[in-house]
Amino acid sequence: MIPRYQKIVVLVLLVLSIGMATVLVRLRERAHDRLLKGEDLAPTTAPAVAPAEPATLLIANDMDGGMVTETQSLPLPKDGEARARALVEKLLEMYAEPGANHPVPGVPRAVLQVFLLPEPESKAPLSPSGGQLAVVNLAGGFADGHPSGILTEALTIESICGTLHANLPQIAEVRFLVDGQPRATLAGHADLTRTYLTADLSQPPGTANPN
Amino acid sequence: MRFFAAAMLMGLLAHAGSAQSPVSNQKFVVVLDAAHGGDDSGGQVGASGGGTAVSEKTMTLALSVRLRSLLTARGFTVVTTREGNVNVTADARAQIVNHGTAATNGSSACLSLHASASGSGVHIFVSSLAPALPARFLPWKTAQSAYIDRSLRLAGIVNSALEHTSVAGGGSVNGAEAGTVGTGTGPIPATLGRATLPGVDSMTCPAVAIEMAPIRGADRKVVTDVTDPAYQTQLVEALAAAMLEWKTDLETDSPRAGGSQP
Repeated sequence: MIPRYQKIVVLVLLVLSIGMATVLVRLRERAHDRLLKGEDLAPTTAPAVAPAEPATLLIANDMDGGMVTETQSLPLPKDGEARARALVEKLLEMYAEPGANHPVPGVPRAVLQVFLLPEPESKAPLSPSGGQLAVVNLAGGFADGHPSGILTEALTIESICGTLHANLPQIAEVRFLVDGQPRATLAGHADLTRTYLTADLSQPPGTANPN
Repeated sequence: MRFFAAAMLMGLLAHAGSAQSPVSNQKFVVVLDAAHGGDDSGGQVGASGGGTAVSEKTMTLALSVRLRSLLTARGFTVVTTREGNVNVTADARAQIVNHGTAATNGSSACLSLHASASGSGVHIFVSSLAPALPARFLPWKTAQSAYIDRSLRLAGIVNSALEHTSVAGGGSVNGAEAGTVGTGTGPIPATLGRATLPGVDSMTCPAVAIEMAPIRGADRKVVTDVTDPAYQTQLVEALAAAMLEWKTDLETDSPRAGGSQP
């Protein structure tokens, strides 16, 4: 003989179970509806491409150790950091092309990020116009594959700095990271631990004698 | 007492003599810094012209040994930063250079030897530090700033020596006679530049970095690679001639050479 109180407990639990199952089914249906509604709102056309605009690239030349200024029409993002990254990526793509005057093996996504930071306060008097420090984070594959040599490494560094300054004049200083970490040299010679001042880059690293 | 007075007089006379020509009476020291070494092989050179690749550390050591022999034969006191395949940090190189040239009162030179497969000819680099006034104590990382003016003069003399050099032998790469295209009848094409050079930036003497690269023709193809014995001989002889010129320059211009020593 089952006591009466046990019958009541079983009945209450059964009612609660049915109620919870009903609520779960309703919640699932509502989530499904939300997903369907989200799909309806997804864009059906490709995002608009940024309009092409002139960009100045400083292209290095290993033969004479100099750099030439080249203006190209490039679709550049409006955001400063994305713009700086696109410029350096384009520069390094040109170095990876066959027959480049400054050959550097290319890797996919050679520039991981470019961060633009306000210059340290201690240097503010040097650039009263509110200069910025650009931190260029290069891919380890790019640095590992870079040709070794004082001239070739200096040209890569200085063409990156010069290109950034030519297009984003507020960049007064440039520092380099490789895979997010400080690295002593690019490929055994060029010092990556120092801060490069873009104002010092009016002269390319090398000047050939008239031979 | 009489002996003491005579000794004092002799000392004063000796001091007066050295003050008149501080450089000529002092030891002239050349420091040769063969870059890389040990675990740090540097780049690979010598394969651009189809030859066998050689590590930069081996090439720089070979150049250092040949140049040391030439300079010693010409009466120079030569100090080297390494004599074998050993690790030497940039700071240790600067320490060796600074100790080796400490007593020379500026009558010295340091040649940091490098090799590269990129570029053409010989690249001559001076530290990109801004010139600074000499001081008794110099910051380690930027000690070279007090010697920039003299390092630039030294670079000019090395460049001039390369312009006036001539082919020493008949080495060839890819069937081309050494020096027939890239070097003409003699001069090695040279590139002068400024760069941040760890190690050199801490040296307290006139210092330049010499980077030997293949000589390329107008079509950018390698005419003479760095492993060419004739090219190497031509370079070390030009550097030895430059050291002689630099020493003569200091001897004839001693007030300037000694005057800016911190």
